[in-house]
Amino acid sequence: MNLSSRMILVLTAVGLISGSLLAVVGMLTKERIAYNKQQEIEAAIIQVVPGTRSSRIIEHNETMPTVYECRNETEDIIGYAVYASGTGFQDIITLMFGTDPGLTKLNSLVILEQKETPGLGAKITDRVAFLQFWDNKDLSQELELRKPAVPTGDLGSSEINTITGATISSKKVLEMVNTSLEKLRRISIKQEEKSASEEKDGS
Amino acid sequence: MAAKNLGAEYLKGLWEENPVFRQLLGMCPVLAVTNAVINGLAMGLATSFVLIFSSLVVSSIKKLIPAQVRIASYIVIIASFVTIADRFMAAFFPPISKALGPYVPLIVVNCIILGRQEAFSSKNSVGRSLVDALGMSTGFVLALLVLSSIREILGAGTFLGHQVLGAWFKPWIIMILPAGAFITLGILLALALVIEQKTKARKA
Repeated sequence: MNLSSRMILVLTAVGLISGSLLAVVGMLTKERIAYNKQQEIEAAIIQVVPGTRSSRIIEHNETMPTVYECRNETEDIIGYAVYASGTGFQDIITLMFGTDPGLTKLNSLVILEQKETPGLGAKITDRVAFLQFWDNKDLSQELELRKPAVPTGDLGSSEINTITGATISSKKVLEMVNTSLEKLRRISIKQEEKSASEEKDGS
Repeated sequence: MAAKNLGAEYLKGLWEENPVFRQLLGMCPVLAVTNAVINGLAMGLATSFVLIFSSLVVSSIKKLIPAQVRIASYIVIIASFVTIADRFMAAFFPPISKALGPYVPLIVVNCIILGRQEAFSSKNSVGRSLVDALGMSTGFVLALLVLSSIREILGAGTFLGHQVLGAWFKPWIIMILPAGAFITLGILLALALVIEQKTKARKA
Protein backbone atom coordinates (compact mmCIF):
# COMPACT_ATOMS: atom_id res chain seq x y z
CA MET A 1 0.00 0.00 0.00
CA ASN A 2 1.39 3.42 -0.84
CA LEU A 3 1.83 6.13 1.76
CA SER A 4 -1.06 8.38 0.72
CA SER A 5 -3.68 5.68 0.95
CA ARG A 6 -2.23 4.54 4.26
CA MET A 7 -2.47 8.07 5.63
CA ILE A 8 -6.08 8.38 4.48
CA LEU A 9 -6.93 4.98 5.89
CA VAL A 10 -5.39 5.66 9.30
CA LEU A 11 -6.97 9.09 9.72
CA THR A 12 -10.36 7.79 8.60
CA ALA A 13 -10.12 4.88 11.03
CA VAL A 14 -9.06 7.11 13.94
CA GLY A 15 -11.86 9.54 13.13
CA LEU A 16 -14.49 6.84 12.81
CA ILE A 17 -13.55 5.07 16.02
CA SER A 18 -13.39 8.32 17.99
CA GLY A 19 -16.65 9.50 16.48
CA SER A 20 -18.54 6.35 17.37
CA LEU A 21 -17.09 6.33 20.88
CA LEU A 22 -18.25 9.91 21.38
CA ALA A 23 -21.70 9.13 20.02
CA VAL A 24 -22.05 6.41 22.65
CA VAL A 25 -20.80 8.69 25.46
CA GLY A 26 -23.11 11.46 24.23
CA MET A 27 -26.12 9.16 24.34
CA LEU A 28 -25.23 7.83 27.77
CA THR A 29 -24.84 11.27 29.36
CA LYS A 30 -27.46 13.28 27.44
CA GLU A 31 -30.38 12.42 29.67
CA ARG A 32 -28.45 13.00 32.85
CA ILE A 33 -27.23 16.43 31.69
CA ALA A 34 -30.73 17.50 30.67
CA TYR A 35 -32.00 16.21 34.02
CA ASN A 36 -29.39 18.26 35.93
CA LYS A 37 -30.41 21.39 34.10
CA GLN A 38 -34.09 20.71 34.73
CA GLN A 39 -33.41 20.12 38.45
CA GLU A 40 -31.56 23.40 38.66
CA ILE A 41 -34.42 25.29 37.01
CA GLU A 42 -37.04 23.66 39.21
CA ALA A 43 -35.10 24.44 42.37
CA ALA A 44 -34.80 28.06 41.23
CA ILE A 45 -38.54 28.31 40.50
CA ILE A 46 -39.40 27.18 44.02
CA GLN A 47 -36.93 29.70 45.38
CA VAL A 48 -38.36 32.68 43.49
CA VAL A 49 -42.03 31.73 43.73
CA PRO A 50 -42.32 29.97 47.11
CA GLY A 51 -45.11 27.44 47.43
CA THR A 52 -44.99 26.32 43.79
CA ARG A 53 -46.21 22.76 43.29
CA SER A 54 -46.40 22.69 39.53
CA SER A 55 -45.20 24.96 36.78
CA ARG A 56 -45.50 25.07 33.04
CA ILE A 57 -43.88 27.16 30.33
CA ILE A 58 -46.08 29.82 28.78
CA GLU A 59 -45.86 29.83 25.00
CA HIS A 60 -45.23 33.22 23.45
CA ASN A 61 -43.67 34.74 20.34
CA GLU A 62 -40.79 36.57 22.01
CA THR A 63 -37.42 34.77 21.83
CA MET A 64 -36.68 35.54 25.45
CA PRO A 65 -37.40 35.12 28.33
CA THR A 66 -38.82 31.74 29.25
CA VAL A 67 -41.80 32.30 31.52
CA TYR A 68 -43.08 29.67 33.92
CA GLU A 69 -46.59 29.91 35.26
CA CYS A 70 -46.51 28.65 38.84
CA ARG A 71 -49.44 27.02 40.61
CA ASN A 72 -49.86 25.91 44.22
CA GLU A 73 -51.45 22.68 45.43
CA THR A 74 -54.98 24.01 44.86
CA GLU A 75 -54.03 24.80 41.24
CA ASP A 76 -54.27 28.59 41.69
CA ILE A 77 -51.74 30.72 39.85
CA ILE A 78 -49.45 32.11 42.52
CA GLY A 79 -46.99 33.88 40.28
CA TYR A 80 -44.60 33.80 37.38
CA ALA A 81 -40.98 32.66 37.32
CA VAL A 82 -38.93 34.26 34.59
CA TYR A 83 -35.78 32.63 33.24
CA ALA A 84 -33.67 35.07 31.26
CA SER A 85 -30.13 35.41 30.06
CA GLY A 86 -28.09 38.18 28.53
CA THR A 87 -24.62 39.62 28.28
CA GLY A 88 -22.98 40.69 31.50
CA PHE A 89 -19.63 42.39 31.95
CA GLN A 90 -17.67 39.41 30.63
CA ASP A 91 -19.96 36.61 29.59
CA ILE A 92 -23.57 35.49 29.61
CA ILE A 93 -25.48 35.92 32.86
CA THR A 94 -28.46 33.61 33.35
CA LEU A 95 -30.93 34.50 36.06
CA MET A 96 -34.39 33.77 37.34
CA PHE A 97 -36.80 35.97 39.21
CA GLY A 98 -40.32 35.52 40.46
CA THR A 99 -43.33 37.82 40.58
CA ASP A 100 -46.82 37.66 42.02
CA PRO A 101 -49.70 36.90 39.56
CA GLY A 102 -50.64 40.57 39.18
CA LEU A 103 -47.05 41.61 38.38
CA THR A 104 -47.08 44.15 41.20
CA LYS A 105 -44.28 42.64 43.26
CA LEU A 106 -40.96 40.98 42.54
CA ASN A 107 -40.44 38.18 45.06
CA SER A 108 -36.73 37.54 44.69
CA LEU A 109 -33.90 36.97 42.24
CA VAL A 110 -31.38 34.16 41.76
CA ILE A 111 -28.37 34.08 39.47
CA LEU A 112 -27.95 30.71 37.79
CA GLU A 113 -24.90 31.27 35.63
CA GLN A 114 -22.29 34.00 35.45
CA LYS A 115 -18.61 34.49 34.74
CA GLU A 116 -18.16 37.99 36.15
CA THR A 117 -14.92 39.14 37.76
CA PRO A 118 -14.26 37.10 40.92
CA GLY A 119 -14.46 39.30 44.01
CA LEU A 120 -16.24 42.14 42.19
CA GLY A 121 -18.88 41.40 39.56
CA ALA A 122 -19.26 37.86 40.87
CA LYS A 123 -20.86 39.42 43.95
CA ILE A 124 -24.13 39.44 41.98
CA THR A 125 -24.51 35.89 43.36
CA ASP A 126 -23.92 37.09 46.93
CA ARG A 127 -27.02 37.46 49.10
CA VAL A 128 -25.62 40.07 51.45
CA ALA A 129 -23.94 42.17 48.78
CA PHE A 130 -26.65 42.12 46.16
CA LEU A 131 -29.47 39.58 46.05
CA GLN A 132 -31.12 40.67 49.31
CA PHE A 133 -31.93 44.05 47.74
CA TRP A 134 -34.14 42.27 45.22
CA ASP A 135 -36.50 40.78 47.78
CA ASN A 136 -40.11 42.05 47.69
CA LYS A 137 -39.67 44.91 45.26
CA ASP A 138 -42.54 47.15 44.24
CA LEU A 139 -43.15 46.85 40.50
CA SER A 140 -45.58 49.76 40.16
CA GLN A 141 -42.58 51.90 39.20
CA GLU A 142 -39.55 50.88 37.15
CA LEU A 143 -36.76 49.26 39.17
CA GLU A 144 -33.73 51.47 39.58
CA LEU A 145 -30.18 51.20 40.88
CA ARG A 146 -29.06 53.27 43.86
CA LYS A 147 -25.49 54.49 43.63
CA PRO A 148 -23.66 54.86 45.93
CA ALA A 149 -25.24 52.15 48.03
CA VAL A 150 -27.30 53.16 51.08
CA PRO A 151 -28.30 51.16 54.19
CA THR A 152 -31.12 48.72 53.45
CA GLY A 153 -33.61 50.74 55.51
CA ASP A 154 -33.12 53.87 53.41
CA LEU A 155 -33.64 52.02 50.14
CA GLY A 156 -36.79 52.94 48.19
CA SER A 157 -39.40 50.26 47.50
CA SER A 158 -38.19 49.85 43.92
CA GLU A 159 -34.52 50.66 44.40
CA ILE A 160 -31.60 48.23 44.36
CA ASN A 161 -28.15 48.95 45.77
CA THR A 162 -25.32 48.93 43.23
CA ILE A 163 -22.33 46.71 44.03
CA THR A 164 -19.31 48.92 44.69
CA GLY A 165 -16.75 48.33 41.94
CA ALA A 166 -19.17 46.38 39.79
CA THR A 167 -21.55 48.97 38.41
CA ILE A 168 -21.67 47.33 35.00
CA SER A 169 -22.57 43.89 36.34
CA SER A 170 -25.27 45.40 38.56
CA LYS A 171 -26.61 47.43 35.66
CA LYS A 172 -26.70 44.47 33.29
CA VAL A 173 -28.72 42.43 35.77
CA LEU A 174 -31.14 45.32 36.26
CA GLU A 175 -31.52 45.85 32.50
CA MET A 176 -32.20 42.16 32.01
CA VAL A 177 -34.88 42.14 34.72
CA ASN A 178 -36.52 45.32 33.42
CA THR A 179 -36.65 44.15 29.79
CA SER A 180 -37.98 40.77 30.88
CA LEU A 181 -40.65 42.45 33.00
CA GLU A 182 -41.71 44.59 30.09
CA LYS A 183 -42.06 41.51 27.90
CA LEU A 184 -43.78 39.63 30.70
CA ARG A 185 -46.41 42.37 30.93
CA ARG A 186 -47.14 42.04 27.22
CA ILE A 187 -47.19 38.27 27.46
CA SER A 188 -49.54 38.16 30.41
CA ILE A 189 -51.91 40.63 28.78
CA LYS A 190 -52.02 38.43 25.69
CA GLN A 191 -52.51 35.42 27.90
CA GLU A 192 -55.55 37.04 29.55
CA GLU A 193 -57.04 38.07 26.19
CA LYS A 194 -56.54 34.56 24.94
CA SER A 195 -58.28 32.92 27.89
CA ALA A 196 -61.07 35.52 27.73
CA SER A 197 -61.68 34.78 24.04
CA GLU A 198 -61.52 31.06 24.71
CA GLU A 199 -64.25 31.44 27.31
CA LYS A 200 -66.34 33.39 24.81
CA ASP A 201 -65.88 30.65 22.23
CA GLY A 202 -66.95 28.06 24.74
CA SER A 203 -70.22 29.78 25.64
CA MET B 1 16.62 6.52 28.43
CA ALA B 2 15.87 2.85 28.10
CA ALA B 3 18.12 2.08 31.04
CA LYS B 4 15.84 3.96 33.40
CA ASN B 5 13.84 1.66 35.63
CA LEU B 6 10.09 2.09 35.92
CA GLY B 7 10.28 3.72 39.34
CA ALA B 8 12.56 6.45 38.07
CA GLU B 9 10.34 6.84 35.01
CA TYR B 10 7.43 7.59 37.34
CA LEU B 11 9.33 9.83 39.74
CA LYS B 12 10.77 12.08 37.06
CA GLY B 13 7.30 13.55 36.51
CA LEU B 14 7.08 14.61 40.15
CA TRP B 15 10.13 16.82 40.29
CA GLU B 16 12.94 16.43 37.79
CA GLU B 17 10.66 16.89 34.76
CA ASN B 18 7.60 18.26 36.55
CA PRO B 19 5.35 19.55 33.76
CA VAL B 20 4.50 22.80 35.55
CA PHE B 21 7.57 23.75 37.57
CA ARG B 22 10.30 22.34 35.32
CA GLN B 23 8.88 22.19 31.79
CA LEU B 24 6.48 25.15 32.09
CA LEU B 25 3.86 23.33 30.06
CA GLY B 26 0.10 23.74 30.28
CA MET B 27 0.29 27.20 31.82
CA CYS B 28 -3.19 28.20 30.65
CA PRO B 29 -5.17 25.90 32.99
CA VAL B 30 -2.52 26.27 35.69
CA LEU B 31 -3.10 30.01 35.85
CA ALA B 32 -6.79 30.06 35.08
CA VAL B 33 -8.46 27.46 37.27
CA THR B 34 -6.35 27.49 40.43
CA ASN B 35 -8.47 30.12 42.22
CA ALA B 36 -9.97 27.36 44.41
CA VAL B 37 -8.60 23.99 45.51
CA ILE B 38 -11.62 22.06 44.26
CA ASN B 39 -11.27 23.56 40.77
CA GLY B 40 -7.54 22.87 40.67
CA LEU B 41 -8.10 19.29 41.78
CA ALA B 42 -10.88 18.67 39.26
CA MET B 43 -8.82 20.18 36.45
CA GLY B 44 -5.81 18.07 37.46
CA LEU B 45 -7.84 14.87 37.51
CA ALA B 46 -9.54 15.59 34.19
CA THR B 47 -6.18 16.31 32.57
CA SER B 48 -4.72 13.14 34.11
CA PHE B 49 -7.56 11.06 32.70
CA VAL B 50 -6.97 12.44 29.23
CA LEU B 51 -3.20 12.10 29.45
CA ILE B 52 -3.23 8.52 30.70
CA PHE B 53 -5.73 7.23 28.15
CA SER B 54 -4.21 9.14 25.25
CA SER B 55 -0.78 7.75 26.15
CA LEU B 56 -2.18 4.22 26.29
CA VAL B 57 -3.86 4.50 22.90
CA VAL B 58 -1.03 6.33 21.18
CA SER B 59 1.66 3.95 22.43
CA SER B 60 -0.36 0.91 21.39
CA ILE B 61 -1.08 2.07 17.83
CA LYS B 62 2.17 3.98 17.25
CA LYS B 63 3.39 1.53 14.57
CA LEU B 64 0.20 1.90 12.52
CA ILE B 65 0.29 5.70 12.26
CA PRO B 66 2.35 7.15 9.38
CA ALA B 67 4.69 9.89 10.65
CA GLN B 68 3.09 12.50 8.38
CA VAL B 69 -0.34 12.29 10.00
CA ARG B 70 0.73 11.53 13.56
CA ILE B 71 -0.10 14.97 15.03
CA ALA B 72 -3.56 14.95 13.43
CA SER B 73 -4.23 11.47 14.78
CA TYR B 74 -3.00 12.37 18.26
CA ILE B 75 -5.22 15.45 18.36
CA VAL B 76 -8.30 13.44 17.36
CA ILE B 77 -7.53 10.85 20.05
CA ILE B 78 -6.90 13.53 22.69
CA ALA B 79 -10.01 15.49 21.72
CA SER B 80 -12.13 12.36 22.07
CA PHE B 81 -10.97 11.72 25.61
CA VAL B 82 -11.40 15.39 26.50
CA THR B 83 -14.99 15.33 25.26
CA ILE B 84 -15.64 12.17 27.27
CA ALA B 85 -14.24 13.86 30.40
CA ASP B 86 -16.28 17.00 29.72
CA ARG B 87 -19.59 15.15 29.23
CA PHE B 88 -18.90 12.95 32.24
CA MET B 89 -18.32 15.96 34.50
CA ALA B 90 -21.38 17.79 33.16
CA ALA B 91 -23.48 14.69 33.86
CA PHE B 92 -22.20 13.73 37.30
CA PHE B 93 -20.49 16.79 38.79
CA PRO B 94 -22.49 19.74 37.43
CA PRO B 95 -21.21 22.35 39.93
CA ILE B 96 -17.56 21.59 39.15
CA SER B 97 -18.23 21.45 35.43
CA LYS B 98 -19.81 24.90 35.76
CA ALA B 99 -16.88 26.31 37.71
CA LEU B 100 -14.33 25.06 35.19
CA GLY B 101 -16.37 26.39 32.28
CA PRO B 102 -14.45 26.49 29.02
CA TYR B 103 -11.25 25.12 30.53
CA VAL B 104 -12.29 21.49 30.23
CA PRO B 105 -12.66 21.56 26.43
CA LEU B 106 -9.39 23.49 26.36
CA ILE B 107 -7.51 20.46 27.72
CA VAL B 108 -7.29 19.47 24.03
CA VAL B 109 -4.66 22.11 23.47
CA ASN B 110 -2.82 21.47 26.74
CA CYS B 111 0.81 21.10 25.69
CA ILE B 112 1.54 18.51 28.37
CA ILE B 113 -0.67 15.98 26.67
CA LEU B 114 0.43 16.45 23.08
CA GLY B 115 4.00 16.91 24.32
CA ARG B 116 4.06 13.54 26.09
CA GLN B 117 2.60 11.78 23.05
CA GLU B 118 5.20 13.29 20.75
CA ALA B 119 8.16 13.02 23.12
CA PHE B 120 7.40 9.74 24.84
CA SER B 121 4.40 7.55 23.95
CA SER B 122 5.20 7.49 20.24
CA LYS B 123 8.63 6.04 20.99
CA ASN B 124 8.11 3.79 24.01
CA SER B 125 6.23 0.65 24.97
CA VAL B 126 2.70 0.70 26.33
CA GLY B 127 3.81 -0.08 29.89
CA ARG B 128 6.49 2.58 29.94
CA SER B 129 4.12 5.14 28.45
CA LEU B 130 1.56 4.36 31.11
CA VAL B 131 4.12 4.87 33.88
CA ASP B 132 5.30 8.09 32.26
CA ALA B 133 1.72 9.39 31.95
CA LEU B 134 1.00 8.48 35.57
CA GLY B 135 4.12 10.31 36.74
CA MET B 136 3.39 13.42 34.69
CA SER B 137 -0.24 13.42 35.88
CA THR B 138 0.81 13.17 39.51
CA GLY B 139 3.26 16.01 39.00
CA PHE B 140 0.60 18.13 37.33
CA VAL B 141 -2.03 17.46 40.01
CA LEU B 142 0.47 18.23 42.79
CA ALA B 143 1.49 21.48 41.14
CA LEU B 144 -2.14 22.55 40.74
CA LEU B 145 -2.83 21.62 44.37
CA VAL B 146 0.07 23.67 45.69
CA LEU B 147 -0.88 26.68 43.59
CA SER B 148 -4.60 26.52 44.31
CA SER B 149 -4.07 25.96 48.06
CA ILE B 150 -1.94 29.08 48.34
CA ARG B 151 -4.38 31.11 46.28
CA GLU B 152 -7.52 29.92 48.04
CA ILE B 153 -6.11 30.31 51.55
CA LEU B 154 -4.79 33.82 50.93
CA GLY B 155 -7.52 34.92 48.56
CA ALA B 156 -10.57 33.64 50.41
CA GLY B 157 -9.29 32.43 53.79
CA THR B 158 -10.66 28.96 53.07
CA PHE B 159 -9.38 25.53 52.06
CA LEU B 160 -11.74 23.35 50.00
CA GLY B 161 -14.47 25.74 51.07
CA HIS B 162 -13.80 25.34 54.82
CA GLN B 163 -12.81 28.41 56.78
CA VAL B 164 -9.19 27.97 57.91
CA LEU B 165 -8.18 31.51 58.73
CA GLY B 166 -10.10 33.34 61.45
CA ALA B 167 -12.31 36.38 61.13
CA TRP B 168 -9.27 38.62 61.70
CA PHE B 169 -8.06 37.72 58.23
CA LYS B 170 -8.97 40.08 55.43
CA PRO B 171 -8.87 38.04 52.18
CA TRP B 172 -6.44 39.30 49.55
CA ILE B 173 -8.81 39.46 46.62
CA ILE B 174 -5.91 39.81 44.20
CA MET B 175 -4.97 36.19 44.90
CA ILE B 176 -8.12 34.81 43.30
CA LEU B 177 -7.84 37.20 40.36
CA PRO B 178 -5.53 36.47 37.39
CA ALA B 179 -2.76 38.67 38.78
CA GLY B 180 -2.59 36.48 41.88
CA ALA B 181 -2.03 33.44 39.66
CA PHE B 182 0.99 35.04 38.00
CA ILE B 183 2.44 36.25 41.30
CA THR B 184 2.07 32.84 42.96
CA LEU B 185 3.40 30.92 39.97
CA GLY B 186 6.37 33.30 39.67
CA ILE B 187 7.32 32.85 43.31
CA LEU B 188 6.92 29.07 43.09
CA LEU B 189 9.04 28.87 39.93
CA ALA B 190 11.78 30.91 41.58
CA LEU B 191 11.63 28.59 44.60
CA ALA B 192 11.84 25.51 42.37
CA LEU B 193 14.92 26.95 40.65
CA VAL B 194 16.62 27.72 43.96
CA ILE B 195 16.00 24.19 45.22
CA GLU B 196 17.27 22.77 41.92
CA GLN B 197 20.47 24.79 42.12
CA LYS B 198 21.05 23.86 45.74
CA THR B 199 20.70 20.14 45.02
CA LYS B 200 22.98 20.40 41.99
CA ALA B 201 25.62 22.25 44.01
CA ARG B 202 25.50 19.57 46.67
CA LYS B 203 25.92 16.79 44.10
CA ALA B 204 28.90 18.50 42.45
